[in-house]
Amino acid sequence: MALIPNIPTSFVPRPDSTSRRRFNTSDLGSALGFVAYGAIGVVLAIAIGLFIYGHILDSVLAGKDVQLANARASIDSAKVESFLRLSDRLKAGEQLLANHIALSGFFDDLDAQLPVSVRISELSVATDDKGAVSVTGAGIAKDFNSLAAVSSALAADGRIKDAIFSDIAVNPQDGSVSFALAAALDPKLVAFSPSSATPAATPAATTTLP
Amino acid sequence: MMSRIYPLISVIAAIALFVGYVGPTWNGSIAGTKNAIASDDQALAAAQAYATEESQLVSERDAMNPADIARLTTLLPDSVDNVSIILDLDALAARSGLTLSNVNVSAPAASSASAGAPAGLSTGGTGGIGSVDLVVSATGSYAAFQKFLRGVELSERLLDVRQLSVKGSDTGIYIYQMSLRLYWLR
Repeated sequence: MALIPNIPTSFVPRPDSTSRRRFNTSDLGSALGFVAYGAIGVVLAIAIGLFIYGHILDSVLAGKDVQLANARASIDSAKVESFLRLSDRLKAGEQLLANHIALSGFFDDLDAQLPVSVRISELSVATDDKGAVSVTGAGIAKDFNSLAAVSSALAADGRIKDAIFSDIAVNPQDGSVSFALAAALDPKLVAFSPSSATPAATPAATTTLP
Repeated sequence: MMSRIYPLISVIAAIALFVGYVGPTWNGSIAGTKNAIASDDQALAAAQAYATEESQLVSERDAMNPADIARLTTLLPDSVDNVSIILDLDALAARSGLTLSNVNVSAPAASSASAGAPAGLSTGGTGGIGSVDLVVSATGSYAAFQKFLRGVELSERLLDVRQLSVKGSDTGIYIYQMSLRLYWLR
């Protein structure tokens, strides 16, 4: 048996098309409103947060500026200067003492090497900026053998190095021999040693020299 | 109609607030303040390091014998003060039996921070080493000269013999000329 077409098959009423359209428009408007009000709320919150955060940062900065000013004020420039000069003095003193030359060692060695028959009449010692010490001089030996003995002694000693005797001339009247001498000194021979400082080196109260 | 205008106004206001205040504030004053704080932090850290170093240096200096520091200052004084050293040399010569006949001052040729100092000598801090040469002429016996020379070598005020010449005579009295270099801390 066929049903009549206009008879509803369900007892649940269908919503009409006009009411569905009204519901959709209202929902979209509400969503847009929610987003818009949400956006202004969020931005306002951020702005207020930034305002407060800026003030907090300003106060932190002010505090650190005060700390920094105190730290600067606590620096004693005179003390810094004294430290720098003490440091400079220590470094320079160490280097100067390392390069300090004591020529008395050379004269002691020369005294030991020269026999009484040889006399030095002129002697010059020069030091260059690199610390090399050279010697030039002139003298008279009683005879040629004496001069040869000095030459051998200097060669054997080795601390008065490269000793060259020149301008050798024999005096026909007494047989004495005049000569010129040029040599270089071993740095060890003229090196200053603190251990060589005797108690006599202790200065008097008003002088820097013993 | 009004229900659509208010959200639109809100969106425009939010954008305006963000563009006109939030962005410039974050990128401008906030960023500047943060940079300043970071800079202050670095300076404070450096100040802290300085304070630590200073206390360490003070303790190290206090550990040094004051007499040693005084001797070091005598070795390398703050000024040339060549008059005092000439007086001291004259006194030393008198004690040694040597007679000083002339004292001249000649400055080394170079005038750099470490002028006249031995090679490689320099300082890293406030200044350099100054030096000047005293040319001393004297007469006396060889024994007196040796005594004088030892005194010069052991002087607390550092004196380097740069040049020395001796001329003999038959009388036993010799003529000496010495170039003595003295130093000071500039």
